[in-house]
Amino acid sequence: MGSLQRGVRNTFRNTIRAVAVVVILAVAIAVSISMLIARDAVSAKIASVRATTGTTITVSPKGFFGFQGSGTPLTASEVTPLLSLPHVTALQETLSQRLSSTDTSLNASTPSGDLGQQFGGGFTPPVRVVGTNSPGTALVGGAFGGSTEKIVKGASFASTSDADVAILGTDLARANNLVVGSTFTAWATHVTVIGIYSAGSSFANNNVIMPLSTVQRLAHQAGQLTGATLTVDTLSHVAATTTLVSHKLGSTADVTSTVQTTQTALAPLDSVQTISTYTLFGAVAGAGIILLLSMLMIVRERRREIGVLKAIGAPTGSIIRQFIAESTTFTVLGSVVGAGVGIVMSSPIASALVSATGDTSPAGGFIRPPGGSPGGFTGGGNGFTPPSGMPTGSFRFGGFGRTLTQLHTSVGWGTLSAAFAIAILVAVIGASVAVASVVRVRPAEVLRSE
Amino acid sequence: MLIITSLNKTFKTPAGDVTAVRDVSFSTKPGEMVAIVGASGSGKSTLLSLLGLLESPDNGSIKVDDVELAGLDAKGRTAYRARKVGFVFQQFNLIPNLSALENVMLPLEFAGWSVSERKTRAREVLSTVGLGDDKVLRRPAKLSGGEQQRVAIARALVTNPGLILADEPTGNLDRKTGERIIALLRDAAEQEKRTVVVVTHDEKIATAADRRLEIEDGVLREIA
Ligand SMILES: Nc1ncnc2c1ncn2[C@@H]1O[C@H](COP(=O)(O)OP(=O)(O)OP(=O)(O)O)[C@@H](O)[C@H]1O
Ligand SMILES: [Mg+2]
Repeated sequence: MGSLQRGVRNTFRNTIRAVAVVVILAVAIAVSISMLIARDAVSAKIASVRATTGTTITVSPKGFFGFQGSGTPLTASEVTPLLSLPHVTALQETLSQRLSSTDTSLNASTPSGDLGQQFGGGFTPPVRVVGTNSPGTALVGGAFGGSTEKIVKGASFASTSDADVAILGTDLARANNLVVGSTFTAWATHVTVIGIYSAGSSFANNNVIMPLSTVQRLAHQAGQLTGATLTVDTLSHVAATTTLVSHKLGSTADVTSTVQTTQTALAPLDSVQTISTYTLFGAVAGAGIILLLSMLMIVRERRREIGVLKAIGAPTGSIIRQFIAESTTFTVLGSVVGAGVGIVMSSPIASALVSATGDTSPAGGFIRPPGGSPGGFTGGGNGFTPPSGMPTGSFRFGGFGRTLTQLHTSVGWGTLSAAFAIAILVAVIGASVAVASVVRVRPAEVLRSE
Repeated sequence: MLIITSLNKTFKTPAGDVTAVRDVSFSTKPGEMVAIVGASGSGKSTLLSLLGLLESPDNGSIKVDDVELAGLDAKGRTAYRARKVGFVFQQFNLIPNLSALENVMLPLEFAGWSVSERKTRAREVLSTVGLGDDKVLRRPAKLSGGEQQRVAIARALVTNPGLILADEPTGNLDRKTGERIIALLRDAAEQEKRTVVVVTHDEKIATAADRRLEIEDGVLREIA
């Protein structure tokens, strides 16, 4: 039996103390691991949200909100020069109009479900016409949970077109029995259907898209716009360009970018990261101190024994190894128990942290679906299944709110090696005190009676 | 052959210097059992710790078989303790969570014996001090005081050192058990031609020794 085995055996000399130390270490290590996992999950979330943040700036008339807008329209003469600003790569201009049944032959199809109920009772919803110089971008989809318009039949029009043509949403076309080549009237003009689009939601598929110039001419709103979207070359230029655009347009327009929206939404996640970082350090320090004090107590108790070992010829190194083995055994036991508990706890802890901070945030909180999957951890033998990649972002930015659908926790190799490093750190801290005290014990003390 | 010349040891304490060993000189022959007597605080234990290299003398010389030990470094002192000296203490000082056998095997580990030889040698020595196979696997707490001191003597003898140092080895034992322990130490001296130095208050044990030395205020003198 060597000094290492003696050290491991010494761990269990005082069972109650051994259990107490292991439990305290396990709790501290469980908290550390939970915090590491929570941090990883939150970092991944933040990164994925940042990665999907667009480089666009939205310009709308002051007070204009969706198609219930009431603000004074913008003018093309104000907006078009923005294209020449540095870093602006594209400019999408739109003029949205609502056509009542007196203005058009089209009938809006009544959306089903809740929205349909809202519009029930004999009220005919108006038909929304979007005039654009950039067909094929997200014009009608974005705000209603849909996506970029896809032409499913026919063709689109050129960006500078001034023809009396239109692309219809699938639902609207079906409700009015229109196909490519059919005509309808708007503003007392015959308009030809040249394409049918689909944008993924029945609400978005209930619109008409026409060339910008055509809408401006027919609606007698030459040179006017209800919205514009600027595309900036890189994410890093968005904030400065937003400020610049806002400055150029003055008080007539609201200028917003998704970067700002993202920033607001991410604020609570940032604070979760800060909390988990401090808690992590606190837990590691706590574990280290507990082990350090326990080892100090143990060395004090065994002072005479250390003297005896020295007196009968034990090299100091051998006695030190014995105490390091003891301290490491405590740490390993604490880590094994703590890792199990920590991995189980990490998902609820991460969720609790996010919802707790989310409630107080100006972003208005997160909606998490119940029954989030527990961490992506599978244990088997002594092998951990490596992480299967961090979750893809499930933040969605819509026109009317933000949703963090789920925070996904998983245990990665990075987390495990960090946890391992923490455990080693704790063991080293604990053993260092023991080592310093062992060196100081004088073997001659053994000859003194107590 | 142990030759001590002009050994001095002074402890610095907050209350002033305490000279525990003062100009001590003496020598012993192999196979000799020497008793050291003296009042409490006279310097008996300090002298033993100097002989066992637990403590370094301030000056003077300790020679064993013509090798000077007084100037050894920490590593050299540790090696000397592991191979050349055996200690027996008043409080037995066995390691409580090791069996009698494991306690006796310890010095062999420090003296560099191979794992396979340790057990055989430890059992052999335990049986010469009268501890049978039925008791060697017990922990110290499951042994009587006399049995524990036998284990301690076995531990002191197991590396076959030339010098055995015993500080009040019978101090915690009844008279009859104490006499058996002294007899064991006598055997250890005679059979293997070792030097055994025993510190004791017990006059009867002192008379059993080959020589008696008395220490008073750190000064050692031979009693005829
Ligand atoms: N480490 C030390 N520091 C300070 N003083 C010490 C130290 N060790 C011993 N002394 C002092 O040296 C003197 C001799 O002590 P020592 O232990 O050698 O006496 P002793 O003869 O063994 O006594 P006892 O019979 O009570 O065991 C005492 O005055 C003691 O207080
Ligand atoms: Mg003494």
